[in-house]
Amino acid sequence: MIKKEVKIINKLGLHARASSKLTQLASQFDSEIFIIKDSKKVNAKNIMDILMLAASIGSKVELQVTGSDEKIAIKEVENLFKNYFDEGE
Amino acid sequence: MVSFNIHGVPVSNGIAIGTSHLISNALLEVVRYDIKTKKIDFEVKRFKKALLTVKNELIRIKKRLLLDSNSQFAPFIDTHLMLLSDSNISDEPAQTIKDEKCNAEWAIKIQLDLIIDKFNQIEDPYIKERKHDVVQVAERVIKVLLGHRKQKINFKNESSVILVAQDISPADTLQFKNHKYGAFITEMGGANSHTAILARSLNIPSIVALKNAKKLIKNNDTLIVDGNQGIVIINPSSAILEEYQYKQNLWEIEQKKLIKIRNVKCKTLGNQTITLLANIEVPEDIKSVKENNGDGIGLFRTEFLFMNRSSLPDEEEQFNIYKSVTKSMGKLPVVIRTLDSGADKNIDVDNNNKNNSALGLRAIRLCLSEPHLFTTQLKAILRASAFGNIRILIPMLSSLQELRQTKMLIERAKQSLKNSKIKFNNKILVGGMIEVPAVAINADMFANELDFLSIGTNDLVQYTLAIDRTDDSVSHLYNSLHSAVLRLIDNTIKAGMKYNKEVSICGEMAGDPKLTKLLLGMGLTNFSMHPTSMLTVKKQVLSSDPKKIKIKANKILRSIEPDNIESLIQDINK
Repeated sequence: MIKKEVKIINKLGLHARASSKLTQLASQFDSEIFIIKDSKKVNAKNIMDILMLAASIGSKVELQVTGSDEKIAIKEVENLFKNYFDEGE
Repeated sequence: MVSFNIHGVPVSNGIAIGTSHLISNALLEVVRYDIKTKKIDFEVKRFKKALLTVKNELIRIKKRLLLDSNSQFAPFIDTHLMLLSDSNISDEPAQTIKDEKCNAEWAIKIQLDLIIDKFNQIEDPYIKERKHDVVQVAERVIKVLLGHRKQKINFKNESSVILVAQDISPADTLQFKNHKYGAFITEMGGANSHTAILARSLNIPSIVALKNAKKLIKNNDTLIVDGNQGIVIINPSSAILEEYQYKQNLWEIEQKKLIKIRNVKCKTLGNQTITLLANIEVPEDIKSVKENNGDGIGLFRTEFLFMNRSSLPDEEEQFNIYKSVTKSMGKLPVVIRTLDSGADKNIDVDNNNKNNSALGLRAIRLCLSEPHLFTTQLKAILRASAFGNIRILIPMLSSLQELRQTKMLIERAKQSLKNSKIKFNNKILVGGMIEVPAVAINADMFANELDFLSIGTNDLVQYTLAIDRTDDSVSHLYNSLHSAVLRLIDNTIKAGMKYNKEVSICGEMAGDPKLTKLLLGMGLTNFSMHPTSMLTVKKQVLSSDPKKIKIKANKILRSIEPDNIESLIQDINK
């Protein structure tokens, strides 16, 4: 298992579109991908759970990835956060 | 048949006349029944099959959309597809069927109630809104299970069909997209809902927040939907029907002509440039401002930030919104009005909104009594001012003391930003709303101490004539052309001229094309209105001869008889 903390830097946070991008990306990997915020742990492949984290700009979440492709999975997920979910800001 | 009207929030302009078609609400029809143990597996299969049917349906819709150049809706469908495959929707109900030995529809309904509960606990209003997407997805599955997915709407004359629904999902709207329905009206929703945004982009008249519409309207009722006014007339008399048929024709011809003047400079026949600004409620409205080529934002109402939530928005959240709005407007002015919560738009500050009447503790009064709340907003606006042409507008001033107190708070906010070395526009303009008669009478004193004036005609009329806007029994007395109102406006415009300060009108009057020439004749050069009114008002400006209308406007100002004023207004518009 690999763990990593990431910060949400896009303006709108994990709103509908960002959540769907995250879910889509997470679903491409075999690994189990969990997102943890304030002791709430959710499956990144479930869009509703991510939405209900209601993580806004500035908040920090932990990524927990376990599985055969965990290395590449965590990298790509982290990049999505870092690239503002491709929203430009 | 009895004719009656219902009022809602107009979200997309135009007029439609037709017959009602009620869209059924599958969720209300769900009942629980027991499933025998040996039939449980079959029930789970039935559930899974319904999921698959909906999935294929959504994929089909999406494919059709991608062929269309207008594919901005595809992401909505993607979200719905993902919700559908979310284990909360795809697995949990299957477990419930097994545990409870109940039918699939009921299992989904139980699960949906749980999900809605969770969403309701979320503070973020935007994420909270997404519960409607979950409901819409669940509804689709239930409709398949109930077997009335085939409830297709097939009509010979689509343009005369008015869809009446509780709420319309984006996917539903898209199914309607290839059809030319007359209008759609819903019980739920607001100016910011999916339904509203989509309706505007599809350019069909639409009214939302029509309470009990589905109870009051029956199938095949004759309806007039006036998307300009937010009125639905049910079973109109033949005279009203004729009037609206005429209005509808005019509207359609008018729309075609208006688009042509979008890029024409807004000048009178005397070559004087007139500034047309937009009133906006949410950042999404900017799209419409650009479509109509507005000269800036004359009124950015900030109440939406504070409403429908349990906690107040912090500085960062507000800053980001103000910044994004001003950045998207470039160098054009963006006038941000500080919190104007009042009688008709409650917010919750310390759960204490008893005094929120039109004459009570609202707008700047509320802000001055809650300096912490106010300072947070001022700092957010100031910070955003580093990114564009932002101005501050103070609502509901009634005395110079209030103005001075407010300016002191602005100075303090500036100082605290300076101390933290945060950039902002130190020369930010501060204007005041002229809506309390006392201020309109003393307009010169305020013009002397303010950078610009903005007349809020809706409240000015209400306060001048002592009409409670929320009380239907006195609404017939509400008259924006009352000579006292016109004289107060005139006094304010003159005060602005005397002190060389910009005066604009940002109430309903500014967007009413019947009054454009009168206001121009009174010397007004800045009009702020709903973006969709801009081209109609511009058309009036283009045909205005300053000399002629000035004489006629003066005549109207001297007149005191309401009937006389009406006929003079007709004359000035000839």
